Formats: sequence, C-alpha cells, structure tokens
Amino acid sequence: MVSFQGNDMSTPFFELRNISKYFAKVIANKDVSLSVERGEVLALLGENGAGKSTCMKILYGLYQADEGEIYKEGELITIKTPRDAIHHRISMIQQHFSLVSAHTVTENIILGNAKGRIDWKKAQKSIQELADRYGFNVDAGAKVQDLTVGEQQKVEILKSLYLDANLLIMDEPTAVLTPQEIDTLMEFVKEYSSRGNAVIFITHKLREVMHVANRIIVMRSGRVHGNVLKEETNERELSRMMIEHTLQEIDTKQTTVKPGNVSLSVRSLTVAPRREVPLLRDVTFDIHRGEIFGIAGVSGNGQLELCMTLCGAMKSTSGSVHLDGQDITHLSINKRIALGMGYVPSDRHRYGMVMDMSLSENMLLKASYFSTWNRNGVVNRKKLAETTSGILKHYDVKASGPNALARELSGGNQQKVIVGREVEFCGDFIIFDQPTRGLDLGAINNVHTAILNEKKNNKAIMLVSTELSEIFTLSDRVAVFYKGEIQGIYRTSELDSQKIGLLMAGYTHQEVI
Amino acid sequence: MMDKKTRDILITNFFAVILGLILSGFMILFLGKNPIQIFILLFSSMFRDGYTIGEIFVKATPLIFTALAFAFTFKASLFNIGAQGQFYIGSITAVSVSLMLPSPAAIPLAIILSFVTSGLWGGFIGLSKAKFKANEFLISMMSTYVALNLMNYLLRTVLMESKGEYPQTETLARSTWLFKIVPHTRLHFGFILALLSAITIWLILYRTTFGFRIRAVGQNKEAARMSGVNPERIYIITFIISGGLAGLAGVTEVNGVQHMLLQGFNPSIGALGIGIAILANGNPIGIIFASILFGALHVGGTIMGQLSGVPSSIINLMEGFVMVFVIISYYVRRKWEVSRDKKLLIEGNI
Repeated sequence: MVSFQGNDMSTPFFELRNISKYFAKVIANKDVSLSVERGEVLALLGENGAGKSTCMKILYGLYQADEGEIYKEGELITIKTPRDAIHHRISMIQQHFSLVSAHTVTENIILGNAKGRIDWKKAQKSIQELADRYGFNVDAGAKVQDLTVGEQQKVEILKSLYLDANLLIMDEPTAVLTPQEIDTLMEFVKEYSSRGNAVIFITHKLREVMHVANRIIVMRSGRVHGNVLKEETNERELSRMMIEHTLQEIDTKQTTVKPGNVSLSVRSLTVAPRREVPLLRDVTFDIHRGEIFGIAGVSGNGQLELCMTLCGAMKSTSGSVHLDGQDITHLSINKRIALGMGYVPSDRHRYGMVMDMSLSENMLLKASYFSTWNRNGVVNRKKLAETTSGILKHYDVKASGPNALARELSGGNQQKVIVGREVEFCGDFIIFDQPTRGLDLGAINNVHTAILNEKKNNKAIMLVSTELSEIFTLSDRVAVFYKGEIQGIYRTSELDSQKIGLLMAGYTHQEVI
Repeated sequence: MMDKKTRDILITNFFAVILGLILSGFMILFLGKNPIQIFILLFSSMFRDGYTIGEIFVKATPLIFTALAFAFTFKASLFNIGAQGQFYIGSITAVSVSLMLPSPAAIPLAIILSFVTSGLWGGFIGLSKAKFKANEFLISMMSTYVALNLMNYLLRTVLMESKGEYPQTETLARSTWLFKIVPHTRLHFGFILALLSAITIWLILYRTTFGFRIRAVGQNKEAARMSGVNPERIYIITFIISGGLAGLAGVTEVNGVQHMLLQGFNPSIGALGIGIAILANGNPIGIIFASILFGALHVGGTIMGQLSGVPSSIINLMEGFVMVFVIISYYVRRKWEVSRDKKLLIEGNI
C-alpha cells in the first residue's frame, strides 16, 4: 500500500485514508489516500472516470465509502450526509450548479439555513457585503436565471462562504467559464486559500493546475498515481502520469498498406450549442482507405463530440462530412450504418451494448433493420446464434455461449464482442473510440490485432485514444485535439511523446515543432 | 440450473403472495372470524361447480388484455397507466358497431375497430411523449378521465337507450354476442382471443426484430439509438399497440359479458391490469396465469362474501397487499443483485 502523507510532519487539515468505493459494476475508488493542508490549493487531476469526483463526493457525504476513514486535524470523523460535511466546514461546488433559477441570489444562499421568520433585508445586506469583500460583482437581489454562468458560479461560491467553509471542493469549475471568468476564479482561489482555508480543485486541464495549485494528486482508474508539488513537476510529466500505460509492445511491424482513396472527408466541422463554448471548431481532415488515423488529446477535448457527430448522434452546426464521396452530413444514424459506418464507442455500457440482453441479441442490435438474420421481421435465431458463436470463437471471447448475458462478461470480453460486431457487420469505415480503455493486456492485444487486420482489409479507420503508446503503435497519421480544435495533423514518425504531449497541453504547432 | 434472476423473481413473488395472504388474514381476525376457515371457504368456493370455474376465466379475460397493455409499453420502459381509458374507448367502439350492425359481421368489425380507435387514443400518448417529451405517466392517467367522461356523455346522449331512463345502451342483438366456448357457463370466445393475444405479444417481443427493438429501447435507449433505432418512433408504435390491446377488453366485456354498455362499467380493470403485469414481471405468458389467479380470487371472494359474512372487499384488500409486496420485491431483488455484483468485484480484486 502506498500512502501519500503531507510534506511536513504536522497533522493535515483533512485526510482521506485508504478509501475504497465500489459501485455495482465498477471500482470507483480503490485504496485512495490523500490529504490537504490549511492554506493549500490541491489539484485533483485525472481523466474523466478516474475517480476524482467520486472520492470528493465521499468527503462531502454524497456517497458512503465502502472502506477507509476520514480525518480532520488528526481526528477520525464520520461524514454520512452533506449536512455532516457542512458541520465540519466542508463545502462542495458541483459541476452542475444546484441553484433554483427562479429565486434570487439571497434566497438561494440562505436556502437550507433559514429558520422561522426571515429578515430579508438583513440577509441580503450581509450577502452583498460578503460578495463585495471578495470583489464579486454579483447583485444579491438578482434572480439567478438572469445571471451568466460565471456569475452563477460566484453564487455557488458565496453559498460556501456564507456557511463559513474552510475547505472548498470545486468539481471542474472552469469547464463552463470564459477565459476572463477563469482568471477571476483563479484570483479568488488564491486569495481564499491565503486566508488559511484549503481548496481542492478537481480538473483534467493541465494548464489550470500549473496555474493555481500548490500540490497535485494524479488519479487514474480509481487509484492515486502520483502526488507532486507544483515546483517539482511540469505539464509534460503530469500528462504522462495521467494517461500513459505501460503497454506491452505487440507485434505490429507497422503493417504497411499503401493508402488508397479518401474514404471519410470532414470539412470545417463545427458543433456549437447556443450560448456555449463550441465543442468542435472548424475540424477538417481526410481518412484514406488502408489508413489508421489517430485522434490524440487529453479526454474531454472534443473527441467524443467528433465521434458522435460522425456517427450521426449529434447535429453539426456547420461544415460537412462525406463518406466515399457521398454527403452524409444530414443523414440519420441508421442510414450511416447502412452505408457501412462502424462505431466502437468509448462508453460501451451506455452506447455500445444492452447489458441485460444476450450476446446474440447484442449482435443483432446493429443489424435489426437489415435482412442479415431475419425474414419478414422474424428473427432467425439459429443462424444468429451460429454467427455469434463464430464471432465469439474468432475474437477469443470468454463466455458460456451466445445466450450468455452481456453483463456476465468481463469488460475486456464485452469489448471484444463489440469490436467483433462492428468489424464483421459494418462496412468500410470504422471509428474506434478508446477501444482499449480499462482492458487487460490480453484483451488490448486482441483489439489491436483486430484493428490492424481491418487496415489490411483496406478499411479506413479512425482511432481515438488518450494513450499515446496506442496512437504511436497503430496509427499512420495523428490529429491532436485541444479544446475542440485540431492543433495539427502529423505523420506519426514526425512526432515523439514529448512533442505530442505539448500539443495536447495546448501548445501550438509553432511553439512545438 | 435456473439463473439467479428467475430464481429471485420466483422466491420474492411467492413471499409477496404469502405475506399478502397473512396480512389480510389479520384483517379477517379483526372481524372476529377465523382466517383459516375463511381461506378454506374461499378456495373451495372457487371450484364449487363448472359454472363457477367458467366465471374464473370470464373474469380473467379483460384482465389479460389490460395487463398486456401495461406490460407491452413497460418493455420499452414506458408507463401506460391509462388502460382503463383505452378500455372505455374500445367499449364505446364495440357497442356502437354492434348497435349499428346487428349481425354476426359486427363481431370481427368490432374487434378490428376497437383495436384501431383505442390504439389511436393510446398512440396520442406516445406521440406527446415522442414530440414534446411529455410525461407519459401523467398523460395516460389523465386521458382515462377524458375517456370516462366521453363515455358518460355518449351514454346520456346518442347511445342512450330508447326508454331514456338510465345512462346505458340498448341490449345488443343476440347475433352480435361472442359465442360461448363451454356450454352451461358464461365463458365466451373472448378468452380465446385473450390467450391468442398474449401468445402473439410474446412472439412479437421475443421472436421479431420489431420486438427486439422495443426491448432494446427499454433497456438501453442510448445504445438502441446508436444502433439506428429511433426511440421516439418506438414510443408511438408501442403506445398504439398497447392502447389497442386495452381496447380489445372493451369488445370482450361488451359483446361477451354485459351485452350492453352502461355507466360505471368495470371501473377497476385498468388498475388490476397494472398489478397483474407487475406480478408477472411483464411476461405475457405469466400474465395469463396471474390474471387467472386474480379472476379466481374475485370469483371465490364474491361467493365467500355471500356465505360467511366477511365482506368480499377483503379480496381487494388482499390483492392490494400482494401488489404492495410485489412492488417492494423489485427493490429487494435489486438489492440482492447489487450486493452480489459488489461481492464479486471485491473478491476479484483483493
């Protein structure tokens, strides 16, 4: 067991010891130990799903840990509800604000704390004073629905200040803010911590971390994977800690195929929801047949949106997508599947499989509109089971048979089933979105072999991955994504992990190459 | 070996029924009667004679339809709790067709048109869910009151008997009655229709790509959408079929049992259908048996009430208790499943 204590000998302000949390199907946190001192800004860094939020929700009493303890200044405390947490002067600002939009700022802040008759004038005055003291330009009498997102966040912060919180936990606080609003927020964090309070800052953005944190704890797959002081590290090292896996080299021998015609052609693709930061901005690239096109980037930089837009689940604001010369920009998901688009989604539980159905039924999922396994709408169960068995065998899936429920399989075997389905029944363009995330080495090799085989079969392949080694071993060309934009498209041989790391952290082409 | 889920369902439902019986036994005790004697009387009166046994199936028939109506949308993770209203629309259609066309040809026509009209009535709920993201639970519930009042309005106006005395229709011509399938009972062709419907629904759900898509939408809407299924379209179609099924209960009750339509017609078969569907875990074949069980309790309960002085409403109470326990059992099963999964996870990682 590795335990990361504070750097000096004094007792930490708050400490989590050996926290584990299991959800029904996943380990959210395993043996997590961390501590925060007074006056410190601690960044909790990690990719989506690394267990950062879960761990903080345990500290805030929203979840109960299955194992482990929480200490405040050396004393064991129990936190069963947010009320207990507030009692210990802990406050948490959720990623999605919990404000009543039809109420005023004052009403929102005293909500949950008001008893009996409320002296509105006095309350509003004290809140306005509090806001002014921290230089927050917020009117305590305004209705929340009339405020910008940045101002709403300030209301959330005021709520914590009003409760006299000494430990402020912020979950991805900058995700929705403009650059200027981010600056003000950072100022506040620095000032607040300088008054002897502690801040835990959950994020997956490296730049912010370097900007505001004193100490950084990196989490990966529910475990703590690093605990460093800001002075002793840099963005490159952090990005490596966040994403790199020790990948066993598979026998790739860079299956050289001469790339053929353009299969997928994306032009100026933009996805910009109204009044929000664009999720994709002016994305342009081509993928040829017989080519693996890698999409690199820290997760949450537009990769998921790109996949969703390409497969038809998300509408683009502008730009176009052509598949084998045909304009598919406005086609439905179903029509795109019919044209031969395969998609292995990163979140297989949500988008890839129906967990309470059998493997046969999961095979049928994409083909239910095609005559592959049915005659006049009646499923040919025998043929379906035979084909499924064949795929299970070919992709080395460990399952009791085609009638096994998807949920009974391990993650790796579930993924093999999805890869098998997409490869066998979809056509000439396949998207692999983080195809090996959370898999063991055996399954990773299996999936990689399948991807290379499809390249040999002259298919066009888009590989989204946050694991650099995967990008380097498999792809011919790479596009690096940062904040929904392409930082540059390179031949894999032009890059090394240092250069790509910088591009992923937001440095531009000129700065790096 | 039986899989763990089926085993859980059987165990918990068995205990739900037993606990329901025990609790209603206490209610009988409060009345100063011996619950064991009353239960014996209840079960013996169900099988008293051929006519009574026939009645069990007569009572079960509309329940099969309303339970199927609930179960079919339930498979798509939708709640149609408006089967009562769809049943009224079906009844209105059946009685209108049969009054206008007093010949045997009215029977197939009534079956088809009742399915269509109540299907459209239900389809409207699905449409509002699909187009406006309306809450299908509320819409289906409120549409029941609209249907009820529409029926009452018609019974006082165009459909009212020529004497103009009661809010009810004329008695239907004999030629439009559903024929009896067992002599000396009231058991009519509607029961066969119900059995066929249940089997058809089972086949649709588990043997066709259409049913497969419905279940896929119900279990993982997003994965279904990613596979090219349009969940919104599924909402509309399932609600049409669901409404149609409830409407068929109108035909069996109007043409098969009552031979007229009157105010306050079978006011609780919609609610009972929900309970039965839940008891059967939404399985169409299970629904046949659960409906017969409920039919038997009703028939036995009525006779028991006449013979023992215990009010027959004790049966409704018993059903209510069973329902409550069946619903609690969903929670219990979920708990078991989660703790099983967790155990596997912890064991596998230490």
